[in-house]
Amino acid sequence: MDDQMYSKKLLTTLLLTLLMVLAACGGNDQNDEAAGGEEEPEDLTNNDAEDTLVVGLDDDPPLLDPHLSTAQVESQIFKAVYETLINVDENLDPIPGLAKDWDVSEDGLTYTFYLQEGVTFHDGADFNAEAVKYNFERILDEDLGSPNASDLRLIEEMSVEDEYTFVVELEEPFAPFLSGLSHRAGQMVSPEAAEDESIDLSNEPVGTGPFQFVDRTAQSHLEFERHDDYWGDQPDYQYLEYHAFSNEDTRITNLVSGDLDIVNRVAHKDLEQLEENPEINMSEEDGIGFQGLMLNTDREPFDNQKVRQAMNYAVDREAITEVVFHNGAEPAVSPFAPSSWANNPDLEVPDREVEKAQELLEESGVEDLSFTLTVSPSPAEQQLSEMLKSMLDEVGFNVEIEQVEFGAILDRMYEGDFDIARLGWSGRVDPDGNAYSWFHTDETYNFTGSSNEQLDELLIDARTTVDQSERQEMYHEAAEILWDETPYIFLYHENDYKPMKDNVQGFNHVPDGLIRPADLTLE
Amino acid sequence: MEQSQNLSVQKPKVQSPRLRMLKTMLERLLQNKLAVFGGFVTFLLIFTAIFAPWLAPHDPTEQNYSAVLQAPSIEYWFGTDNLGRDIFSRVIYGAQVSLQAGLISVGIALIIGVPVGLISGYYRGFIDEYIIMRMTDAMLSIPALVLALALAAVLGAGLTNAMIAIGLVLTPNFVRLIRGEVLAHREKEYVEAGKASGISDFSIILKHILPNTIAPIMVQATLAIAAAIIVEASLSYLGLGTQPPNPSWGSMLATGQGYLDSAPWIALFPGALIFITVISINLFGDGIRDMLDPKMK
Amino acid sequence: MLSFLLRRAGLMIVILFFVSIIVFSLVNVLPGDPALMILGQEATDESLEALREDMGLNDPLVMQYFAWVGDLLQGDFGQSFRDNTEVSSLLAEKIPITLQLTVMSFAIAVLIAIPAGVISATRKGTLWDSSATLFALSGVSLPPFWLGILLIFIFAVTLGWFPPSGYVPITENVAQSLWYMLLPAVALGVRLSAELTRMLRSSLLEVLGSDYIRTGYAKGLLERAVVYGHALRNSILPVITVSALQFAAFLGGTVITEEIFNIPGLGQLLVTSIQTRDFPVLQGAVMFMALAVILINFLTDVLYSILDPRIKLTGGSQ
Repeated sequence: MDDQMYSKKLLTTLLLTLLMVLAACGGNDQNDEAAGGEEEPEDLTNNDAEDTLVVGLDDDPPLLDPHLSTAQVESQIFKAVYETLINVDENLDPIPGLAKDWDVSEDGLTYTFYLQEGVTFHDGADFNAEAVKYNFERILDEDLGSPNASDLRLIEEMSVEDEYTFVVELEEPFAPFLSGLSHRAGQMVSPEAAEDESIDLSNEPVGTGPFQFVDRTAQSHLEFERHDDYWGDQPDYQYLEYHAFSNEDTRITNLVSGDLDIVNRVAHKDLEQLEENPEINMSEEDGIGFQGLMLNTDREPFDNQKVRQAMNYAVDREAITEVVFHNGAEPAVSPFAPSSWANNPDLEVPDREVEKAQELLEESGVEDLSFTLTVSPSPAEQQLSEMLKSMLDEVGFNVEIEQVEFGAILDRMYEGDFDIARLGWSGRVDPDGNAYSWFHTDETYNFTGSSNEQLDELLIDARTTVDQSERQEMYHEAAEILWDETPYIFLYHENDYKPMKDNVQGFNHVPDGLIRPADLTLE
Repeated sequence: MEQSQNLSVQKPKVQSPRLRMLKTMLERLLQNKLAVFGGFVTFLLIFTAIFAPWLAPHDPTEQNYSAVLQAPSIEYWFGTDNLGRDIFSRVIYGAQVSLQAGLISVGIALIIGVPVGLISGYYRGFIDEYIIMRMTDAMLSIPALVLALALAAVLGAGLTNAMIAIGLVLTPNFVRLIRGEVLAHREKEYVEAGKASGISDFSIILKHILPNTIAPIMVQATLAIAAAIIVEASLSYLGLGTQPPNPSWGSMLATGQGYLDSAPWIALFPGALIFITVISINLFGDGIRDMLDPKMK
Repeated sequence: MLSFLLRRAGLMIVILFFVSIIVFSLVNVLPGDPALMILGQEATDESLEALREDMGLNDPLVMQYFAWVGDLLQGDFGQSFRDNTEVSSLLAEKIPITLQLTVMSFAIAVLIAIPAGVISATRKGTLWDSSATLFALSGVSLPPFWLGILLIFIFAVTLGWFPPSGYVPITENVAQSLWYMLLPAVALGVRLSAELTRMLRSSLLEVLGSDYIRTGYAKGLLERAVVYGHALRNSILPVITVSALQFAAFLGGTVITEEIFNIPGLGQLLVTSIQTRDFPVLQGAVMFMALAVILINFLTDVLYSILDPRIKLTGGSQ
């Protein structure tokens, strides 16, 4: 072995030269950098910075086909490229979208939509009643397997009255119908593009929105350009880009350094720092979702109602909103946010009552109070779970925390393989979207296994009643039953924060948390 | 000294005897002093880990919401974290986790690696050449952290599973080391003699071959502990190791990274401890190697 | 020669076969239903079942393995569960980023290691030597993620010279790109440079003691010329060998470094794929990393054997 090392001069020289060249390159580059490099990072974008708005997202949106979409972040993109039949304003009241007006019959069964005229899709196809029909049929098509079909499932018949009038008959009254049309089920894709085999709508969206799709770099960013034939007001700027930064610190760094103009989500720990920054404007709005703990009522010890109720008094909601969310969240006692018309003002947030919790545990007679709390591994979730453990352990529970990726949590939920999972809901415009599928027996997200006949009846009545004040009564009662039954520990309603650079104007904060890019102007 | 430099094969290259002797002496001197230091710090860390409950001024999991993100002070020597917990106490308890992870995962690697290496090297043959060795080649060509990460994800997050994952990842190193030692010994006279006199393979392996491999195993094991501690910290950093609220240096580092501008102490202290621990164990391991050098082949 | 090459290549294929088995079995015992990962929180039972069938998740494992390897051999790494992107195009997108990090790290490592190694070997026994030795020891014990966080704290958070994290493509802005990647490259390069310094020092010491160097001195060559001209050239080979052997560990280091500095390279792709159970991406990334390691070792071996036929390489263990 020994003398072999010396007989490879050629190789040595060769490799040494290579290394030296590399070293020299690296060295020079760095020196140039140190001397001439700017400290201010430049824009991420290729496009003219003056005429480009760059949005920072918390995740890369996987599926850009609105009818297949399931991820919350995808809806941000849809606000640029697609439009819904119905829109919602800051109070979440329905306002015209692609339907400039609509009538609902007395019995709540017939909906007549009067469509905007002169609207074209980005590929030149016309938007009309036939296009709406095509879209509804596409969503209801079982081969497509749209997860949003449930919003339209009650449609019995649809007809094209004339080119711009579209009529829908429902099997039974369905109060959340219009709000569904302001969400994914109301997004209109180009029928021509959808039929074209060579176009993959999941990656190249074609809608009627103010911006049309230009390019996508997988798991990095998306580029859009102003749609010149847009029927509404032309946006203030030419180019729109969405950049995904799943790391919350990087996202904020890029906003502060000026690479991003507006960001869809911010870690609460950074709120104070951003609010102090004179170059950043922060918009705050109540959220519409709810967050908390899902209890598996098919398992010990949570098959015991008293144990579940004890948890309600063992947690300190105020401390959580203060320490983890820096007061950027409201303590929760029901699935309806305080700003919602469905919220029950009689349900007050209880103080933490250790003794009451312990009494309830004693009454339950349950001996073994150990369980696993499953959370996703984000920093805030970890902090929250550690607080919960400390609070619950103190009253007599024995909590073990398990960090599992969000996807895996869902997996466990579907299999019923969990004790308590940290799972919440981004919320829907209509209160039905926060209640029915979550707490009605055996519904899609009712992983708790709980079932209450009275609650089921209320939730069904509430969605088939048209009158809002009657529905309000029902939701008030439903919230009380939920509090008593306790299949879910409501912890907080997260407020929605949108930090943006001070030259971004015109932001209209709708509680659904979606950025409507066409509203924004750059100064 | 004269004898040791003749037998020294640590760096198998040609050099003049005079220079080599000088170098060996200097190296020994330098390394031994450092080794003593490394050994001392390692001992101190083990002591800290064992007596953590008596040494820590606070409960490492006790939360104090009115003392969140406090800078180091007389009350909280290393400051507090985002839940108002005492970082000094958490760092002390974190030593338990790290040392435990290092020892147990290397233990797992030894339990699997030693018998496989012994048998594989002693019997040779198809299975040795085409299955076991190629399997170790394959495992070693996947970066250790990547393999550990994937294994930990398969087994599920948690310290126990992380230790199993790290143990498995370290195993091929031991298999190869021991196999190599066995190959060097199996043709020796005493083994041949033993075979001739009808001693069973089992006792030859156990009584004659194994004792000769202990020195290199010890050196490798010590250095592997340091590597295991780094991998455990990495897994915990990525959320696949120690689960909250148990203090682990890696997960404290991950929490702290989000507070580098407002509360840098959350990340800096546990990070410094990882460094001190690993360098001490490395120094100590290097020292043992030099100490054992004359006997090593 | 040819038979050696064939033999070595055959061995490489056998190792790759084992790697493929490891990678496949890892992924297929990972918990989590990929169909659910794709459809997310609002999936329905029917859409889940349809997707499972479509993805071949209902087939027996052996079938799935052969289907997978068959595709791999045709360069088809499958599609990401997340958004149906071709894994091969994802890899093609991420590899240059990690390659840039690798090249910069090696450059930094060499920039540090050559002077440090030379100084400590030529000034043996002095304070310089001790400092360099201590540096090498610390560097080897310094986990890249800790050094990374330390660098962020000092140079980004406190001094504000560098961005704390992020990435700019080199095609967009060369200067920016290098600037953003400097801290992570240092975090990785220091550890590597420590290994290299150690090797360089000891191999230089040996070369410096050999006859022809002393001849050089006798001929009256200046010390600098001797050291750089002859000794360094002759002692760099073991250093390169060490680099090649360190490559697997180095790639492991890029994974966590990319995660800390939020660089969208191969390492981050791998971590994300584990977190989202994106099996095809995970498989593709690990297969590629193993392939890179195996190829580099193979090339090192082959170059050796070409340049020195006396080396008889049998098997993979040298």
